Amino acid sequence: MAQQTALQGDLALSPQARPLTEDWLAVALGAAIFLLALSLLAGVDLLGWATAPRTWVEVGKSVRQASPLYASYGTPTLLIATYLFVLALTSIGAFLLGSNIAKFVMGFSVVYWLSYLAWLLGNYAYVAVTTPAEMQRLAIGWSLRLTGESGYLIALLLGLAIANFAPSLARWLDEAARPELYIKTAIVILGGFLAVKAAEQLSLASTVMVRGLAAIIEAYLIYWAVVYFIARKWFGFSREWAAPLASGISICGVSAAIATAGAIRARPLVPIMVSSLVVVFAMVELLILPFLARAFLADQPLVAAAWMGLAVKTDGAAVASGAVTEALLLGDAAARGVNWSPGWVLGTTTTIKVFIDIFIGFWSFLLAYIWTRHIEPRRAGDELSSREIWQRFPKFVLGFLATFLLVLGIGLAASPATLKTIDSAMAEANIFRQLFFLFTFFSIGLLSDVRQLWQEGIGKLAAVYVVSLFGFVIWVGLLISWLFFYGIMPPLAR
Amino acid sequence: MSKDQRPPRIGAELAKIEAEPLLPIEKKLLAWSLIAGVVLLGLLVWSGNSALTFGH
Repeated sequence: MAQQTALQGDLALSPQARPLTEDWLAVALGAAIFLLALSLLAGVDLLGWATAPRTWVEVGKSVRQASPLYASYGTPTLLIATYLFVLALTSIGAFLLGSNIAKFVMGFSVVYWLSYLAWLLGNYAYVAVTTPAEMQRLAIGWSLRLTGESGYLIALLLGLAIANFAPSLARWLDEAARPELYIKTAIVILGGFLAVKAAEQLSLASTVMVRGLAAIIEAYLIYWAVVYFIARKWFGFSREWAAPLASGISICGVSAAIATAGAIRARPLVPIMVSSLVVVFAMVELLILPFLARAFLADQPLVAAAWMGLAVKTDGAAVASGAVTEALLLGDAAARGVNWSPGWVLGTTTTIKVFIDIFIGFWSFLLAYIWTRHIEPRRAGDELSSREIWQRFPKFVLGFLATFLLVLGIGLAASPATLKTIDSAMAEANIFRQLFFLFTFFSIGLLSDVRQLWQEGIGKLAAVYVVSLFGFVIWVGLLISWLFFYGIMPPLAR
Repeated sequence: MSKDQRPPRIGAELAKIEAEPLLPIEKKLLAWSLIAGVVLLGLLVWSGNSALTFGH
């Protein structure tokens, strides 16, 4: 029931009634971390104490602080400091969202440390190392070559195990299981990180953005129509169910299902159930598609990246898939002696996902227009207003654009030395981006109570999802990604 | 969550759905969307994607 409770929480209050929406909170959290990191430009290192795992063989040497300036404090102190900082930020956010603070603090502490443990395990040398040179350096004879990002999958599996084998613990943690908040915060931070890459390779970044835009217009026009047709014609769903289902499967998961349901005035039950399904299937895609990309798209990393953005639903799972795909493809390429610059695969997936999110408001408005004019005309005084586009607009995208454009602007005007400082600042912020990614993976797993959904009798909805996703959406997404991104390569690392 | 606050079982809700034939406006939405998607895709592929490439 944790899954439904979390989703009902999203729907319980209208955007106007809440003191602060999750989107604006993500902007505030991401911006706070981003601005603290940018202090490096003024010569002050305010985030250098943040700790992150590095590839390790001895557990005592598994964690390191971002800046040597803070080495004298010792790793245990800095580990606790990182935890307390993130706990303070998220608790303020939970308070502003009207959550039960005591329950959030206890739940989040478990989410934090289990996620951190997963991160640590993912960086164990026998799991993470990808190149012979690094194996030699660490004196190990073999490795699974899964890269440090395998910590994300370990976090996902941990959450999934708790959801399905310890449901009472999952319920106890549900106040802190907020994958959409975590991924949106991470995306706001990611904006600055990606902008550094874009400043270094502006023409490639422009190409990725314009092709991403073309790809998602294609996806919207083709995906939605086919999935809606399948749901209505083949499975006999009513319009109330078919429209949110089509948006959930074809566009962008939870937020699209909720926005569409609002646009056509569906009952709250409809987007809740569709969203529950989306979370479970997104988790399945996250576990399968990056490895398919590794097997078949190893020499076309940006095709793989775009595919993740177009095929995997929900912001969390899509961007997470981009991160895993990047780790797998770059790791394999490094083993072959090709060192692609990191960030481009993840950046392409994120760009596509953000563009998709931007269009949700317009698509919902179009559907609302058709429904109110032709299907279920509204009463006088309840007419459609263009303000609904703004109400449906995912506000965290503004945070992403702000951090991206600010760093891009500074980066394009900066000297090489200043660009290097910005790079270091964004690397410090990136520790928190990775942490929020981990919380996202863990929370997605925690909300994926497969048994409970099955008991609810969700089989027919799941059948539409399986037919549409695995029979159509994934492969059309692959085709469109191939058409728009084939032959475009990330730059080589310097 | 008390028993009466519990959401209805989804299986029961789905069983209640009555047949709704596709309206002309729905057919029009699907047709226009697909035609626009396929024509645009054809144009972009025909142009060789050159309009979407910078600095190469």
